[in-house]
Amino acid sequence: MTHPLGEETEELLHHLLSHEGRHKAGDCCGTGERRGSNTARLIADGYAVLAPDGTVTLTPKGEEEATLIVRRHRLAERLLVDVLDLRGPEAHDQACRFEHILRPDVEERICTLLGHPRGCPHGAPIPPGRCCREAATELRKVVGVASALEADEAGTVAYIHTDDARKMNKLLATGILPGQPIRLLRKFPSYVFQVGNTQYAVDRDIADAIYVRLSERK
Amino acid sequence: MNWKRFIPWADRRGGKDAPASGLVAIVGNPNVGKSVLFNNLTGRYATVSNYPGTTVEISSGLAKFGDRTMTVADTPGMYSLLSITDEERVGRRMLLAEKPVAVIHVIDAKNMERMLQLTVPLIEMGLPVVVALNMMDEAKDIGLAVDVGALREALGVEVVPSVFTAKKGMKELRRAVLAGPKVRTGRPVPYPRDVEEALGRIEALLHGRYAVSKRGMALLLLEGDAEAREMAATAEGARFAELAAVLEELRPASGRSVAYRVTMERQRFAHEVSSRVLKRVEGPSRRVSETLGRALINPWVGVPVALAVLYVGLYKFVGQFGAGTLVDLFERKLFGAFVNPHVNDFLGRALPGGGWHYWARELFGGDYGVITLALTYAVAIVLPIVLCFFLFFSILEDSGYFPRLAMTTDRAFKSVGLSGRAVIPLVLGLGCGTMATLVTRVLETKREKIIVTMLLALAIPCSAQYGVIAALLTRRDVTWLGISAAFVVWLFVILAVFLVVGFTVNRILGGERPSFYMELPPLRMPRLDNVIIKTWSRMKWYFMEVLPLFALASLIIWIGRITRLFDAAIAVLQPAVHVMGLPAKSAEAFLYGFFRRDFGAAGLYTLDGRGLLDGVQVVVACVALTMFVPCIAQFLMMKKEQGLKMSLAVAGFSVVMAFAIGAGLNVLLRATHAHL
Repeated sequence: MTHPLGEETEELLHHLLSHEGRHKAGDCCGTGERRGSNTARLIADGYAVLAPDGTVTLTPKGEEEATLIVRRHRLAERLLVDVLDLRGPEAHDQACRFEHILRPDVEERICTLLGHPRGCPHGAPIPPGRCCREAATELRKVVGVASALEADEAGTVAYIHTDDARKMNKLLATGILPGQPIRLLRKFPSYVFQVGNTQYAVDRDIADAIYVRLSERK
Repeated sequence: MNWKRFIPWADRRGGKDAPASGLVAIVGNPNVGKSVLFNNLTGRYATVSNYPGTTVEISSGLAKFGDRTMTVADTPGMYSLLSITDEERVGRRMLLAEKPVAVIHVIDAKNMERMLQLTVPLIEMGLPVVVALNMMDEAKDIGLAVDVGALREALGVEVVPSVFTAKKGMKELRRAVLAGPKVRTGRPVPYPRDVEEALGRIEALLHGRYAVSKRGMALLLLEGDAEAREMAATAEGARFAELAAVLEELRPASGRSVAYRVTMERQRFAHEVSSRVLKRVEGPSRRVSETLGRALINPWVGVPVALAVLYVGLYKFVGQFGAGTLVDLFERKLFGAFVNPHVNDFLGRALPGGGWHYWARELFGGDYGVITLALTYAVAIVLPIVLCFFLFFSILEDSGYFPRLAMTTDRAFKSVGLSGRAVIPLVLGLGCGTMATLVTRVLETKREKIIVTMLLALAIPCSAQYGVIAALLTRRDVTWLGISAAFVVWLFVILAVFLVVGFTVNRILGGERPSFYMELPPLRMPRLDNVIIKTWSRMKWYFMEVLPLFALASLIIWIGRITRLFDAAIAVLQPAVHVMGLPAKSAEAFLYGFFRRDFGAAGLYTLDGRGLLDGVQVVVACVALTMFVPCIAQFLMMKKEQGLKMSLAVAGFSVVMAFAIGAGLNVLLRATHAHL
């Protein structure tokens, strides 16, 4: 790892990534001279290159760093919303500050704690880190995907994450919703959950979309 | 299941004495008691069972509310107004277009929180809602008490506590409907500011005539509902372009969908209301049914139980008792030794001559007469078997066992492109393929529907056919581990066909992977009266469907014999029969099979009774007849659900497969000198 970048420089990287890596120099992040110096800093450190027409483009190294920043931001949001139960704009503002103090080892621990979430509270994907790929399921999680629960583990539904709108509607319609108490009764041959006073049998695909905040272990 | 939908003559009773004034719609989640309520109100019979998704079409009947007669419609269960499956869509369309005078929303009291999430959109639609708070007995059993007054106040609509299975709450409900439920004004649930603003903008653009409230329409439109969009396009005409532009503008570019956010607000409301009105008065007592229910979802218990249920139910009860003992009693003793000899004797005395006398005798008697063939087969062979099957099926169905079977089989079914849900039409197909083809509607994807329709036509024998085949196979002497060897070979071949066809069709058809999702209702002790009435009603329609077709077949054979077309058809079939190593006479059974498969199987039964077949021939003939063309009724149902081209392809495919596999099996069994 190179020496840490400043907050505004990180913001700029983030911004560059979300504009597909191209950006007219000096549109955001910092004011006046500092803005110029932030861009200069990125270029000097090899995160970006300046084209003759004045656009700034991320280098592969820059993209990698920017992806990490996005990941930290969204993980921070997840943490604040799922574990600390913050809501609305406050969560976002806090996350903005939080992400900058997250260093790789802390980031991985938080990611593991959260059960390697795949999306932020707004539904945007969280770029997976090394830990997600290794998916150390042995650790005690606070929020985990329902399909990874043990039989008789219980909690409340933390969120639903799926790209499939039909699947999402199905879960919404039947009442497996964030905030609902849920208990896994069985994992095999299908997943059976108790939600409220009703039992549901679902397959792996659907159980993979339900994330649970664990509350007790029997 | 509403069997009456496709038996035209069954729908005519229900009283034409008074013209109906207004429509009362029954809606609610699956398995909450809608059909029981329908039966209570109309006195008519819509099959009630303990598995979700049994009502696949709207059934309607007339009912008295005080001195008014109104039409009551029972809709398939729906979880939300954003419908997902075809069956849900049917009910929703009625709510959105037909201006019911009352909408009875049936709620399972013990799952109130979840159910209220449908009440909210119904109220928002501006529908005249009455909430029927059902299953109060089960709620009490698990220690819950409901403050009905507080619920009424929170919802702003009438709430009637009830136990429909015990007819409790019917009087109060009738009174509430007769009084004309009020449409609640105001907003039960406020949405976040941006959503409310968007709704306001959409509502301002709705100028056309709608059967439901503009707010309700606006919500559906904002949630991106395709059908609501079509309705708006029709109602608005040229003005729709502007609306479409606004909708496009309001569509969130990223993040959570509106449907999600709206649902979350409704959920918050439902949670808040239900935690206020539901009181836990005592801890839930764990009942035997719950312990048993938990045990059945364990595969170590579930799979052996499933096998035991199939063995006892299908092999012992339907196969050996129904098709063996009962058929023997009816066919040999009643018809064979008593009715038919008397009929022939009488005909012989009344019409003793040759010429037209002979043909007149043959119309009713002889080998192919309406009485000696059609009536004998229908009453003596088909009836006892079907009775046993439906008795068995009704008991299972009411106990709530099927969803647990679906849950156990889901993983295995995925390999043939199906979800566990398919277990319901497939087991029902063992009763009647026609019914089951209709019930493929409970499946979510087109692909699953096609695969199941195909398997029903090819590899699932209907109860009458199965019964006769089982009787033929199990009366052979060779047994392996106490089970007839011939039966084992037949079962093995049919299962192989099932798997290979399922696997292949699944590979050929592209499209969505099926997903499995099912509510597991509590296990309930089947009520004897319900089982009897259900079995009776199913028997009745089955018999009404079978008898005319059998008589028609008998008539056509009679005409065919006079014109010699019968011999020509037999001559065409004989080479195919010959290839399978069967005696020439068995071509007749296959000819009957074109009318109905059970008719063909019954023909085979007679043939075997005369000692014309050896073990290998019985097995080969049974395999071929099992796969042979679907019966006329099933074919018509396939055409209705899947189109003519698909049904012709399936029918053609099954004839070719039947003969090819029959021939192959014959060669194999002969080569291995199988002793069956």
